[in-house]
Amino acid sequence: MRNRIPFAALVLLGFVWLPAAGQQVPANGQFPPYRPPRMADGHPDLNGLWQAFVTANVDLQDHEAQPGPHPEIMGAYGGEPAGQSIVEGGEIPYRPEALAKKRQNFENRAKVDVSSDKTWHNLGDPEFKCYMPGVPRATYMPFPFRIVQGSGPFILMAYEFTTATRTIRMNFKAEYPTPAWMGWNRGRWEGDTLVVDVTGQREESWLDRAGDYHGDEFHVVERYTLVSPYHMMYEATIDDPKVYTRPWKISFPLYRRMEKNVQLLEFKCVPFTEQLLFGNYERKASK
Amino acid sequence: MKITAALVLILAVGGMPAWAHHAFAAEFDSKKPIKLRGTVTKMEWINPHAWIHVDAKKADGSTEEWMIEAGTPNTLLRRGFTRDSLKPGTEVIVDGYQSKDGSLRANGRDITLPNGQTLFLGSSSPDAPYNLDKKQ
Amino acid sequence: MNYRLLISIGVLTAVSLSTAAGQSQKPAAAADTAPKKVAPKAAAPAAKKTFRTPWGDPDLQGVWNDATSTPLQRPNGQGKDVLTDEEAADFQESLAFDLTRDRRDGGADIDVNRAYNDHWMDSRRLKITSDKRTSLVVDPPDGRIPPRVPLPPDRDKIRVERAAANDRFNAGLPQAVTDFSLPVRCIIRTDSPPYLPTIYNNDFTIYQSPGYVVIQPEMIHSARIIPLDGRPHLNKNLPQWLGDSRGHWEGDMLVIETTNFKNYPGVIFQGGNRETYKITERFIRVDATSINYEFTISDPATWTKPWTARIPWNRIDPDEQMYEYACHEDNYDLVHFLTGARDRERRGEAK
Repeated sequence: MRNRIPFAALVLLGFVWLPAAGQQVPANGQFPPYRPPRMADGHPDLNGLWQAFVTANVDLQDHEAQPGPHPEIMGAYGGEPAGQSIVEGGEIPYRPEALAKKRQNFENRAKVDVSSDKTWHNLGDPEFKCYMPGVPRATYMPFPFRIVQGSGPFILMAYEFTTATRTIRMNFKAEYPTPAWMGWNRGRWEGDTLVVDVTGQREESWLDRAGDYHGDEFHVVERYTLVSPYHMMYEATIDDPKVYTRPWKISFPLYRRMEKNVQLLEFKCVPFTEQLLFGNYERKASK
Repeated sequence: MKITAALVLILAVGGMPAWAHHAFAAEFDSKKPIKLRGTVTKMEWINPHAWIHVDAKKADGSTEEWMIEAGTPNTLLRRGFTRDSLKPGTEVIVDGYQSKDGSLRANGRDITLPNGQTLFLGSSSPDAPYNLDKKQ
Repeated sequence: MNYRLLISIGVLTAVSLSTAAGQSQKPAAAADTAPKKVAPKAAAPAAKKTFRTPWGDPDLQGVWNDATSTPLQRPNGQGKDVLTDEEAADFQESLAFDLTRDRRDGGADIDVNRAYNDHWMDSRRLKITSDKRTSLVVDPPDGRIPPRVPLPPDRDKIRVERAAANDRFNAGLPQAVTDFSLPVRCIIRTDSPPYLPTIYNNDFTIYQSPGYVVIQPEMIHSARIIPLDGRPHLNKNLPQWLGDSRGHWEGDMLVIETTNFKNYPGVIFQGGNRETYKITERFIRVDATSINYEFTISDPATWTKPWTARIPWNRIDPDEQMYEYACHEDNYDLVHFLTGARDRERRGEAK
């Protein structure tokens, strides 16, 4: 057939990729050098729907598969999978006196008591109560989030969990006026990495379901770097001198959700918690 | 040009869409007006309502711990107020209505300083017990 | 290889190189759709050509505020739709007086509902819209929402139940969490369309990226993500609290169609009917400091005809910041309402 292009020519021109002899599937943790598409201002385009696939929301550190709260009701539905630590060095460097509170948190993770305003936050994992999860926890929860990056002064991150959002104020000087659940986020570019400085988080938020927590001097610095058309590396340096002996780091890849027409949906969980939190104060039918 | 009485009531209560904000009369008792004088022990800049904790002095010299409900902090944050703006120890006078269930809770209908200035209206006085941080 | 083959390879190479050369994401095709039938045609000024994003869409980005004292509907007895300067000043003064919380007249029953001083409120809500209209509703021309259609038994039952729940709440005797409105329960607030001005936190941030417009209202911390790429709506089986929005450009105007509202009381504006309710919103940039927001609601099972309102969104302070509005996290009031009611029942004060 006269106009058929020989296969060899197609290979030579790069239309067909043949694995070279000895080359395997990509090695874990390795990405070939990548130059991402850019926005008009020259910075990488981070727009997209992203999701983490680590189990850090169960426990940042190494953890076995476990039954979860109330296995006598939940059975295997309530179980949580095993996972490997995303903490550099494996362990979170708690101050020795700070570890007791972590254990206490874990014991109380599925208990609530909102009978008194003054002790409202004493019990229960904020996630369990459908509170906004804070940073970095929102990044590694098992839900997607969308990054919206345009030509305005802010970048938006919109999370599916409780439809939380956070505004990244680019090159912004002012400090946080008052603590917020999703923190006070100031962003800047360092080369092709988006760096977000997070201060002013509510001290009541937790880092995972294992009771990992922080204090009121919590400071997180995130780094977002595109490493392929489908992956973004996420790193966070975490510190709070009242709770940890030194700053510590976590890292894991974020994956671009690729389903056709995929969109962020709503996980509005407040209605799922109302009986739990407030049911005791409703009027009970008289006997 | 007059507006009908019905509209006046609607606007006085809200000027808001039909789904609107809660009726304060559901929580606070119009038959229990209170006036307290005390010192601020804590200010919670939270939504949906900020809460001011006040140690109020009673006539017999003892103190009672009151929680005073205030508005949304976001409006004040836009005017330059911050978490440091209302320092513990500030003396305030609270004019409001007590909680219907009789607990030591009230809405802060008017919150003023002893010199008569309305708290949160902002002050350029160097003696102001709060300090307005400029945004940038 | 023959000559024809060489040319083919050359063309293929050129095409492949141009598509591979690290291009930025192309904007989703802002298709020139045939003008959709939207009623009524708004007399909105055309946007200046200078307000464009780098990828060519009209630029609506920024923090905007929609506070106003102009009521949704024209007050009874107010015949004119647009006032002269003097009439406008009077109208505004009356409205501002009604809205201010710094007055103590009317007795304790009314005063307790004024709750706190004006400094907690958005001061911009005391001004009427700059175009001096007497209502936000622009169609029907009398500035009033059209009459409602009589409800069938199943919807009327829900209406009666909600009214009874509301009465219990106002009497300070709520029985269950479901007696509270969705805003009090911190589920949805100003973020549910149509966007209407309220007494405070009237701020919205609009973000754009190629193929998307995203609107983030201050209350309650959510974002409406509006794809512009012409993808179909979600299936009816996947309703959303804020509905499912799809947008497209008609010239410089953003048109948003939203469907798939959750079938739950309070989700749809004023009890509209999920199957027949349609809301179309339009945004157009007017100048450096304002946008016109307009919405048309059509629901033959609820109102006798469609109706439209227009609200300007302003940017008075270029540095205006929106702050987090967490709600459920510190919603002490919900417990106060319920424990207070149980207390009153114990004391025999139940109505």
